[in-house]
Amino acid sequence: MEERGFLGKLAAIVPGLAMMVLTLYLLKQVVEPWLAGVAVFGQKGYITKSIGLNYVLMSILVGMAYRNLLFRGRIPDWAAEGFRTTRLFIKTGVIMLGSLYTIQSLAKVGGLAIALIVAFVFGTIFFVMWMGKKLGMDRSMVGVMGAACGVCGVSAAIATSPGVKAKPAEVALAIATILGFGIMSMFITPPIGRALGLSDYQFGAWVGTGILNSGQVLATCLSFNPAIAPGTAVAYGEIWNVVRVISIPFVVFFITLWYWRGEAKEEHMSLWGILKSKFPIFVLGFFGMTALSSFDMLGKEGSETLHMLRDWMAWIFGIGMVGLGAYIDFGEIKKAGGAPLKIGVAAGTLKLVLSLVIILLFIGKEASF
Amino acid sequence: MRILLALDESTRAIDEAVKLAAERGAGLTALFVQDATWHDYLGSDWLSGSNARGGYIEWAAEHDMREAAGLPEMLRERTKGIDFELKVASGRVPEEILKELASGAYDLLVMAQPFRRGLEVLRDTAAGLVPRLPCSLYLVRAQDG
Repeated sequence: MEERGFLGKLAAIVPGLAMMVLTLYLLKQVVEPWLAGVAVFGQKGYITKSIGLNYVLMSILVGMAYRNLLFRGRIPDWAAEGFRTTRLFIKTGVIMLGSLYTIQSLAKVGGLAIALIVAFVFGTIFFVMWMGKKLGMDRSMVGVMGAACGVCGVSAAIATSPGVKAKPAEVALAIATILGFGIMSMFITPPIGRALGLSDYQFGAWVGTGILNSGQVLATCLSFNPAIAPGTAVAYGEIWNVVRVISIPFVVFFITLWYWRGEAKEEHMSLWGILKSKFPIFVLGFFGMTALSSFDMLGKEGSETLHMLRDWMAWIFGIGMVGLGAYIDFGEIKKAGGAPLKIGVAAGTLKLVLSLVIILLFIGKEASF
Repeated sequence: MRILLALDESTRAIDEAVKLAAERGAGLTALFVQDATWHDYLGSDWLSGSNARGGYIEWAAEHDMREAAGLPEMLRERTKGIDFELKVASGRVPEEILKELASGAYDLLVMAQPFRRGLEVLRDTAAGLVPRLPCSLYLVRAQDG
């Protein structure tokens, strides 16, 4: 009986997953090569190289079209289970990304990433607290928006909400704001990066610091440069992402502490308790892969194993990107409004612009790994 | 005649539904739907650990249950002298409303506009329901709407 239940669950995944895989196959193997051969302004590959319309960006766009046009705002039951595997694909891809680094290379860039992330995370949180007070916003909502704008959007918002007793309806509005701003960032940052001649290192550092939602950092880096290898935008951006993810429990603790200090009631909590319940375990998989890579257990750079691993990553992320697009509902995002929208746009814009200025002023084109 | 009242944060919709039921001598059913669509709404969130994600979904459900807990007493107070019943369901709000209406027992649906119940705060609930309704619809402008 149980076996049949498992097989039934597996069968439910197939239609949606097949749709995502087939979409990616067509975009990666048919549409992108065709676009690369199309001449615009007398230049072959203008669309893929200059505009950056590669299979990653197209996967997100087609995913969005599925959700908003084909499915009219709701993934149908026959496809829902398959599309739910999006998280699994992206998490698996991120764990595998750990193989792009060694402990030494992480140590070289990690310090800068930690410094920038900590400064921007807490800077944004204080900005949101100040602005929230000015707008007379509910304290629990200030806490949620602080975490969401400061750390990494949706994940931080849902990790913080129970601790600050935020209303689910308000959390939904906060998430819509974050996603809306993130989508805009996702499409405007690669052209800006190209126009300013940013290197992969600078671009990864910029969007890793400046984009609100970590999922969109990943998508943006891959759309700037779809190559998955050491020294590419996704390799740098993901270091920033991982630092952000690790900071979630600490930020949740800080914001919850701030919230309850302003309330009349006492609330018992401990950093250890929050760490246990909020720490994303999959990050350990990422570091595990880095450890394997550091001791050459995946082969030397250029080995068959690493080549195969990166090829798989491209497919795994590609499938994840179709799913990521399919979870973007413009109807829901349009409903974002009020104080959360004002704070989200102000904090998001400030973060994006300020991080770009800092990258241009203080970060060289080349990283040391 | 029987009226179905879809419950959200609006007390005006409750007052209007009670007034209508009293004026027309109709029965009144209030439907509270616990939103069970958070799992899908958070589909793009791949960073959260299972504990954080599960913890939030539980928190949202508990919040709904707390809201639902105070309803029977409050509604009984307001519906004295009316044939009244309260139903609680769990799922996607418009689907649960349509399921209840499908019994054919209702002549009128009363709900607030905009409708604020769970994730419906992000959706135009009434607009989605209109083409599929088997009965008349009475929209009540929410206090802050």
